[in-house]
Amino acid sequence: MLVPKKNPSGVLLWLIFSSLLACSCSSKGSSHEAIRIRWVHDPETINPMALTNQAAIEVNNLLHLSLIQANLTNHQYVPALAAALPEVRLVGDSLMHITYELRPVAAWDDGRPILGSDVAFTVKLMFCPGLPNEVVRNQYHFIKAVITDPATPRRFTIVCRGQAPEYVKATGDFCILPAATLDPAGRLSRFTLAELQHRAPTAPADTALQALARQYQQGYAGHPPGQLPGCGPYELVTWEKDRFLHLRRKSHWWADQLHPAPLMLRAKPQQLEYVIIPDVATAILALRRGELDVFPQMPAREFERLRTAPATRAALQFYTTDSYNVVTAGFNTSRPVLADAATRRALSRCFDAGRLMKATQLGAGQRTVGFISPSDTANYNRALALIPFDPIQAAALLRQGGWRRAAAPTAGWFRPGPAGTSQQLRLTMRYRAGDPLLTTIALQFQAATAPLDIPVSLLPTEAGSFSEVLRVGDFDMYAQVLKGNPFMFNFTPFLHSKGIGVGNFTRFTTPASDRLIEAIATASSNASRQRLLRQFQALMQQEMPMVPLFFLPSRTVADKRLSGLNVGSLKPGYLATTIVRAARATPAP
Amino acid sequence: MGRPPHPLAVLTAFRFTWWQRLALGWLVLLVLVAAVAPLLPLPYPPGLPDLANMAVPPFSAARHWLGTDPQGRDVLSILVYGARTAVLLTLPAALLAALVGGLAGAAAGFWENSARVPLAYWLVGTGGTWWVLQLPLPMLGLGLMLIGALLALLARLQNRPLPTWPLPVDALVVGTATALDTIPRLIVVVAVVASIGLSAPGLLAVMVLTAWPPMARLVRAQMLRVRQLPFIEAARAAGLPERQIWFRHALPHALHPLRTALPLSVAGLLGLESTLSFLGIGLPPEVASWGRLLATVRDEPSAWWALLFPSLLLTLSILSLNTLSRMSTSRA
Repeated sequence: MLVPKKNPSGVLLWLIFSSLLACSCSSKGSSHEAIRIRWVHDPETINPMALTNQAAIEVNNLLHLSLIQANLTNHQYVPALAAALPEVRLVGDSLMHITYELRPVAAWDDGRPILGSDVAFTVKLMFCPGLPNEVVRNQYHFIKAVITDPATPRRFTIVCRGQAPEYVKATGDFCILPAATLDPAGRLSRFTLAELQHRAPTAPADTALQALARQYQQGYAGHPPGQLPGCGPYELVTWEKDRFLHLRRKSHWWADQLHPAPLMLRAKPQQLEYVIIPDVATAILALRRGELDVFPQMPAREFERLRTAPATRAALQFYTTDSYNVVTAGFNTSRPVLADAATRRALSRCFDAGRLMKATQLGAGQRTVGFISPSDTANYNRALALIPFDPIQAAALLRQGGWRRAAAPTAGWFRPGPAGTSQQLRLTMRYRAGDPLLTTIALQFQAATAPLDIPVSLLPTEAGSFSEVLRVGDFDMYAQVLKGNPFMFNFTPFLHSKGIGVGNFTRFTTPASDRLIEAIATASSNASRQRLLRQFQALMQQEMPMVPLFFLPSRTVADKRLSGLNVGSLKPGYLATTIVRAARATPAP
Repeated sequence: MGRPPHPLAVLTAFRFTWWQRLALGWLVLLVLVAAVAPLLPLPYPPGLPDLANMAVPPFSAARHWLGTDPQGRDVLSILVYGARTAVLLTLPAALLAALVGGLAGAAAGFWENSARVPLAYWLVGTGGTWWVLQLPLPMLGLGLMLIGALLALLARLQNRPLPTWPLPVDALVVGTATALDTIPRLIVVVAVVASIGLSAPGLLAVMVLTAWPPMARLVRAQMLRVRQLPFIEAARAAGLPERQIWFRHALPHALHPLRTALPLSVAGLLGLESTLSFLGIGLPPEVASWGRLLATVRDEPSAWWALLFPSLLLTLSILSLNTLSRMSTSRA
C-alpha cells in the first residue's frame, strides 16, 4: 500500500536533485568560458573621469578606447581609434597643433560614427564643473582648443599651449566618450573649452552645466552595467562590489572589420572575469584549483614556490619582467615636524632599501635614486647616490634640522616650535592592510627608528579607505607602490601644488619644484627634458617629500592552457584581450 | 542567622584532580612568562624583522630557535610576548566583566524592578550618561550632574528625604544583556573596532562590554534563589538596611557561579583576542599576538611553525581554563 505512494515522491525528489545538479553544472560550464584574472581590490568606480586605481584604469581600457595606445610588447604608441599616429605642427614658439584622423570604421554601439566632436566633448567634460575631474583637469590643462571641421568630421586638431613632445602621447591617451549619449541636449556645446577652463571656482553655478554633471553622474551610478556607453570591445555585464566584474565581448564591435586587426585592437576572450581576491594565499589556492587563469603581480616567494614545485610547474606558466612600479614612502609635509627637508632626509636614512628588496623580492628589482626607472637610461640620474641606510647619519641630520635628543633615555627628540611651543618627533605610518611587502617595510622602519628614540605607530588601513585617508592628510608617513610608465613625465598630479588635496598626498610644494615640474611637462625637446628630469631627481632627493625605495619586478603566473598571453613592463603587466584558452581535451568515454 | 562567607571565600577550598593540577601549572607558567617576558634572555625583540631570515624554519637560522614569520620576526619572541598580551588583555577583561556582570546581576536579582532611587541620583546618573555619550550640548549633562549633587548634599545637610523614582534594575540589566546577546560577540567587536578603531585599552573596554552579560545572568539567577533563604529574611527582621543585606550577606553567596564562569570567560576572551588579531583588527601591528602570528601563515602557507606553535599554546591554554572551570570545592 505504501510503495505506490512513495514512488512518485521519490521520482520527484530525484528529478529535483537532477535539475539542481544540471543547473549547477551548466552555470559552472558557462563561467569556465571566461578568462578569470585576479585583482587585489575593487575598482571603486568605473567613471572615466575619476580613475582612482589600476583596476579602474584596466576596466576602462576594455569599455572605452583612446586615440592611440601604448603597445605592451615594444613600448611604442600605436593607433587605436585614430587611423594613424598624429601629425604634429609647431605654430610660432608657443603653440602645437596635433592633428588626428579617426578610423573610418570606428563607430559607437548604435552605429553612429565616432567623430572629432566626440573628442571635443570629452575634453570639455574634463573641465566641466560638478564632475570628479580634478586629476584629469591638471593633466590636460595644456589643451587650448579642439578644432573640428564639419567638412571632415573625423579629422580634428588639438591645439596645445607649449611645444612639448609629451603632448603628442598625452593628447591621444584618454578614453573618448559619446557626446550624443551623454549630452543629448548638447548643453556642453554652448560653452567653449576656454570658458570652461577659465571658469572661476567661485563662479555662480550654471544650471545647464549642473544638469549635465548630474546626468553624467547618474549615468555612471545608475546605468545598468550593459548599457554603459563605450567604444571598447567589451561591455560590463555584472559588477558585484568587492567580488567580481564580468565583461562580455560585444557581438558587433567596429574593430572586427579591420583585417588584420592590430595587436592592441584584438579582443579574443568572449568573456573576461576579474575576480577580487585580496588574500594572496586564497588567490593561489584558486589558481591551483583552476578557478583562476591569470595571477598578475604575484609576490616573490609564492612565485618561486610555485615555479619550483613539480606539480605547479607542470600546470602553470611563469613570466617575469621589469616594471615601472616603484615602492615609496611618503611624508606629510604639512605636519610641522615634517615640514623641513633635513628631517625628511634624516628619516629616509632609516629605510634599509637594499635589504628590503633582497628580502621581499628575493634580490630581483632595481634600487633607484628617484621616480625614474634605472631602465630608462636616458632620463635616470646616475650621478646621484642611492639613499643609504644609515641611522647614525639620520641622527646627525636630525640635529641639523634643529632636533635635540632628550637627556632621559627613551624620551625622544624635541625642537622649539613657533610661539614658544615645543615639537616632539613622533610619527604615524599608514599602509594598505594585508600587504606583506608594505607591512615588512613599515616594521623595518619602525625597528630602525626605535634605537633612535623616534616612536612610530603603524596604522594598517583598509584598502577601501586608504586613498581617502591619504587625500585628507590623516597621516605622518605612508608606504605605497606608485605605478608609472616610461612615456609620460607629468608629475603635476602627485608633486605639484595643483595636486594638493587630489593626488599630491605629501602636500609637498615649493616654487622651484612647481616650476621644474611645469618645465618638464612643457619641455620642447627630449634633450632638454632629460636635463630637467635629472635636475628634478636631484631636487627631490634634496627635498625628499617621498623616499623611492626600489622598482618592483612584475611576476605573472597563468594557467598553462592559456595561449596568447602577452606580458610586459607596462601596467598592468599583461594584455587580457589577446588571451586564448586551449580547448579542453574531451575525456575518453 | 548563618555567618556570611567572606567574598574571597569562593576562590578557596578547591579539590584538584591531576588534570586540574596540570592545567593550573600550565596557566601559572604562562602568567609567570608573561610577567617576566622583558627580563628573559630572548635573542630578538618581538617586532624586529630579520630581513636576512624571512620565514625560516626552527633551528635553521642563527638563534631563531622556533623560526621566523614571513616578516622575519622571531617566533619564540612573539610567543613569549604574545602570552604577555593575552594575559594582560584577557585576564583584566574577564575580571572586569565578572565585576560588572556580578554587581549588575546581583542587583537585578535582589531588587528586581522594585528599587526606588532618590531624584538627586537620577539627575546625577542621567547627566553623567549624557556627558559620557557626548550627546548634543554635553555641558547640559554636566549641569544636571551638578544640580543632582547639590540636591543630594542639601538633603543630607537638612536630613530630609528626597522624592524617589522607581528604577527597574532587573528590566534594565536583563534587557541590556539580551540586546547584547542577540548579536554575536565577534560581530559587535568587529563593528566597533572597524568603525572607530581601537587602542589596547579601548579593546579591553569592548571585550568587557561583550563579556559581562553571561556573568550577570548567572549571578542574577543565583541571587533570585539566595534572597529567599531564611538568613536574608532574618537580616531583614533584624532591621539591617537593604544595601547592607545585599552587599554583606547576599552577594557573597550569589557570586558562587563565577567560580565556574570566570575561567570559561577568560578562555572565550583569549579566543576572541586571537581571532581579532588573526583578522588584523584590534591591536596595533607591533603588539605581539598569537592570533596575528597564526595569520601570517596566509602569507607563507609552508611556514608550519607559524601555525603549530601558537595553535598549541592557544589550545593548551583554553583546555586548561576549561578544565579549571570544572573544579569542585571541598564543601560541594
